[in-house]
Amino acid sequence: MTAAVAALPILTLLLIMGGAAKLISAGDDARQGALNRLGPAVLVPERFRRAAMLCCALGEFALVAGQLVADLAVARWLTVVFFTVSTYVLWDLRRRRPDVGCGCFGEVSSAPVGLRSVARTAVLAVLAAVVATTDVGPAEALSRASWTAAAWAVCGLALLLSLSPEVEETFSRLRHRAPCEERSIPAGRALSRLRSSTEWRAHADVLESDEPFDSWRELCWRFLAFPGRGGTEVVFAVYLSGRRPAVRVAVVGQDGTLVEPIQESIAVSA
Amino acid sequence: MSHARVERRHLLSAAALGRDVQTPRPADDDGTAIDAVSGQIVDATTHLLVVENDDGQEERLVIAPWATAWRGGPVPPTRLPIGSRVIIRTRAGRVADCVWADMTRMTGIILDVRGRRDLTVEIDGGPHRGRRSIVIPYRSTGRILVRHPRLEPGYLFDAIGTMQDGAAVAQVPATSQPPYRAEALPPPPPAFGGTRTRISGTAVWSDYTDHGAAYPMLESSDTGCDQGVVSCARLPYLSLGSMLFVRNVCARRSGTVPIVGCGCMAGHFCDRCLDCDTSPRGRIVELSALSYVRLGGDLTKGCFNAQVGLG
Repeated sequence: MTAAVAALPILTLLLIMGGAAKLISAGDDARQGALNRLGPAVLVPERFRRAAMLCCALGEFALVAGQLVADLAVARWLTVVFFTVSTYVLWDLRRRRPDVGCGCFGEVSSAPVGLRSVARTAVLAVLAAVVATTDVGPAEALSRASWTAAAWAVCGLALLLSLSPEVEETFSRLRHRAPCEERSIPAGRALSRLRSSTEWRAHADVLESDEPFDSWRELCWRFLAFPGRGGTEVVFAVYLSGRRPAVRVAVVGQDGTLVEPIQESIAVSA
Repeated sequence: MSHARVERRHLLSAAALGRDVQTPRPADDDGTAIDAVSGQIVDATTHLLVVENDDGQEERLVIAPWATAWRGGPVPPTRLPIGSRVIIRTRAGRVADCVWADMTRMTGIILDVRGRRDLTVEIDGGPHRGRRSIVIPYRSTGRILVRHPRLEPGYLFDAIGTMQDGAAVAQVPATSQPPYRAEALPPPPPAFGGTRTRISGTAVWSDYTDHGAAYPMLESSDTGCDQGVVSCARLPYLSLGSMLFVRNVCARRSGTVPIVGCGCMAGHFCDRCLDCDTSPRGRIVELSALSYVRLGGDLTKGCFNAQVGLG
């Protein structure tokens, strides 16, 4: 019961923050030709993206209203469903569009979806399940508030913050002021990050040379293309921000077809 | 850097990140099918313009009754000389709507100015275009000088004119000359405010023969542009081969064009475009003349208010 009392304000806070950020970013991001694409909305056709973002934001506000104002048990279970589905969607987004940020908190969530983002949503689903199973409403949460519940809430928030790539992005913004895509970053740094990555070790045997034959930058990604065995080309994409940046790889044939799909089991911090 | 390698970059980056491969595509937001043809005039009659296009094929275009032409000044389309190099805006397929003949754009840093009546100006067009000598005929000096009051070495120059017997002749100013020396470029606005989804500014055209765009914010290590990156506007880094979404805010047309060059010189200009409204400061893209016309631009105006994004 104490855990549920602590979880309710956390869920409410995150739903309100996420909904507000999505409402703000929906106007800019969903239009054609945007520089950065955010969130699962990229998986739907272009003309429905804005509507998808707005639906998601309004859905989050509706869940908050259902839990706090109407005090409905069904709203608590719908929150569990929402975070469970979100966990799957983020996992799928990470597999299908590795360059896209989760957009959970607007444009601050522009770093590629990593295991931490997926884990955070899973933790939120667990917290929602705790609230739903104990059926704690706002009145009961207020009446049962205690120092123990406050300590639980602080621990929960700390866990969520540790799973939030947005924290690193915020510190990076404070330090550099300019967002990653506008900062000049030496090409050599991406190469050294690549050589210490799991992807590099996994594909080292298919490379014909350790030196890239081409390297270029697009927004916050640096691409390094290496000659592969059998006339293929192995292209690595290294995200340029963060301590353990995301690395993606594809093996492409001479005719431009994908020889090997994008790796799914990638250890990334983003 | 080889052309084929640059073209392959977009395919490789799309493969690595699971994106869709984009192809250059003009769009017609306002519902009008505008296209453009470039080539040489083979024959011109009262109603028909015969052009040999860049692929060596002959195209026969009907001259619209309202069609206009420009060759140093307004001329009837039928008076354009045979052999003129033209860019033709067409509507509804084969109807020539507007013709620009022997156009050239002279953009660069003034190195030397000579002459008393007709002026000869030496300009540095940047590492990719090199130096060129241009002539400002006496009849055009007034209108050029009123927009370029500091016609002296170190200042920027931007004019539109025609090629006449192999010489570039400046006819009209393309912009008001920036008041600072080229090496004293004002810094871009501070980068507060986080990631922007779309950039607004000025789109201009240039003499690029490759169809596409030159973009100022490219890593110098990727492009061989040894002058380093300069830009008056806050721009994100892209590369040769990236697909750029360009929207002409005034004509409400948009399209996707590949980045084919480094817009080193465009980055020096902190001017605004007044085509339909006052654009934010700074040139954000330099389009080839053909891409510029396809996006609804008028070559004699020299710019349009634009938004760019990743295609």
